[in-house]
Amino acid sequence: MELIILFGVLFLALAMGVPVAFCLLAATVATALYMGTPMIAIAQQMGSDITSIALLAIPLFIFTGELMMKGGLSDRMIALASSLFGHVRGGLGQVTVGASTLFGGVSGSAIADVSAVGGTMIPQMIKRGYHADYAVNVTITAALVALLVPPSHNMILYSASAGGGVSISDLFAAGVIPALLLAAALMITAYVVARVRGYAAEAFPGFGVVLSRLIAAIPGLLLVVIIFVGIRMGVFTAVESASIAVVYAAVITGLIYRHLSWRAFKDACAAAARTSGAVLFIIGTAGAFGWLMAYLQVPSMLVETLQGLTNEPAVILLLVIGMLLVLGTFMDMAPLIIICTPIFLPVVRAFGVDPVHFGVILLLACGIGLVTPPVGSVLFVGSAIGRIPMTQALRTIWPFYLACTAILLLVAFVPALSMWLPNQMR
Amino acid sequence: MSSPSHPLSRALDPVARAAIAIAGTALVVMVGAQAWQVFARYVLNASPGWTEPVALLLMSVAVMLGAAVAVRRESHFAFSGLVHAAPRGLQAALKTISRLIVLVSGLGLAVLGGQLTIDDWPVALAGAGIPAGLRFLALCVGGGLISIFALERLLTGDFVAPAPAEET
Repeated sequence: MELIILFGVLFLALAMGVPVAFCLLAATVATALYMGTPMIAIAQQMGSDITSIALLAIPLFIFTGELMMKGGLSDRMIALASSLFGHVRGGLGQVTVGASTLFGGVSGSAIADVSAVGGTMIPQMIKRGYHADYAVNVTITAALVALLVPPSHNMILYSASAGGGVSISDLFAAGVIPALLLAAALMITAYVVARVRGYAAEAFPGFGVVLSRLIAAIPGLLLVVIIFVGIRMGVFTAVESASIAVVYAAVITGLIYRHLSWRAFKDACAAAARTSGAVLFIIGTAGAFGWLMAYLQVPSMLVETLQGLTNEPAVILLLVIGMLLVLGTFMDMAPLIIICTPIFLPVVRAFGVDPVHFGVILLLACGIGLVTPPVGSVLFVGSAIGRIPMTQALRTIWPFYLACTAILLLVAFVPALSMWLPNQMR
Repeated sequence: MSSPSHPLSRALDPVARAAIAIAGTALVVMVGAQAWQVFARYVLNASPGWTEPVALLLMSVAVMLGAAVAVRRESHFAFSGLVHAAPRGLQAALKTISRLIVLVSGLGLAVLGGQLTIDDWPVALAGAGIPAGLRFLALCVGGGLISIFALERLLTGDFVAPAPAEET
């Protein structure tokens, strides 16, 4: 009965459009009332969860992404990618994937990526005669690369949702090869689609221009090196690296690039506070929900049920990926990670999947949800920038979906792609 | 749609602006505290004990005030597909129920957060020497603001984005 109340209230409230955080709270409170659990225990659990040391890095990395987005870093990345990839057929599509990969490496956020890179590249592609649907599709799928590279705050969210036992530095390392593979797959797809549609190539600007643009982009690109090497070498913790990243981003965009005005800085603070509030408040309510779920032994029941169905880890992994893809179509990434990690991680662990490897799978699967309707925030932002209806983008997005799904399956069934780099660095 | 000139919205505009300003400042001070931790460890050769508890307190302030403003702007993550597909009358009813749930949740958090603040006040927070009850103060204040902003949405309808100069 407790489980019926817990999940019944949750799904009913979700369907009614109640914000996810309050759905989790309502489900927890309703079940606790039925069980006679004191309400103060729920508030205490929530209060502890929003003051957890494991979460400190999340608002700071969100802040870094906002500063980078408002500080003009994307322009340098686009200029560099343009000189590197512009001469390939459908050059601007290649430039978009390249710029998203570079910018994703400093913003760590798909939304920041699609807003910053798409804001420049989508109108430029349309102006040069590319179809708007192509421009939107290549931009929104390229933004997913940002989820897999440091400083991806979604990786920290996963680590925290896993109980803090999954190393953030291992996750950062594990995402690098899948991210590069995804970028390569999207570049190939963009090239093939561009060839079919007959888009032209840009002229190669010469090695001198490449070098000068690389020099201009280096201060921004150094951020990812500082974070990655700093954590890996034990110079600072993930939380400290996040605060260093904020200071560095403010100095680079404000003093070196001179693009971040005082007004833009204040806007970045406000936007970071609002996003952090929305994301971490769910963590607080999900903490209370998860505490009740663990008390009711939901994960172990799910493991037993799946073990009754099959003993084949590959089938279990496929089932979990299928569920994540379906859930990803109607739930946003942050709540999906927070809700699904404590449910699915014990399941896949029981079947021998490494938690770091599963983290990369989960982020990629949830990321695909960001570009699928009805709830796909990256799809919404991309369509809005391209000024086309979502349905127009979706009619021709399938080659890009195919590329993302192929990489997801490759990463899921070839663990070495995720685990090789962290294992080498241990 | 509600009118931005609704008296309640006008009265709450400065409250929302103050809340987001405090939340943003808390983020900046959090960055300062953590950066100081690194500086003190490597340059001064002494790790201060206060940075972590203070950063956690500031995070709870940023989160709860940010979450409250997100209630006002209705920018919390939600699955609104079914609501948008519903007939207009049902849509309005569902929005009302949703806002009521948020209002009651906020009230609950305010009351329980207040109780926890009072209960833990006499205990000192390890490392920082400040009352441990402060850990729950943000829950209390944020909960109160959540219920106030949910009440605003109930009475004035959907959020209308202000002009950029007065954005909250």
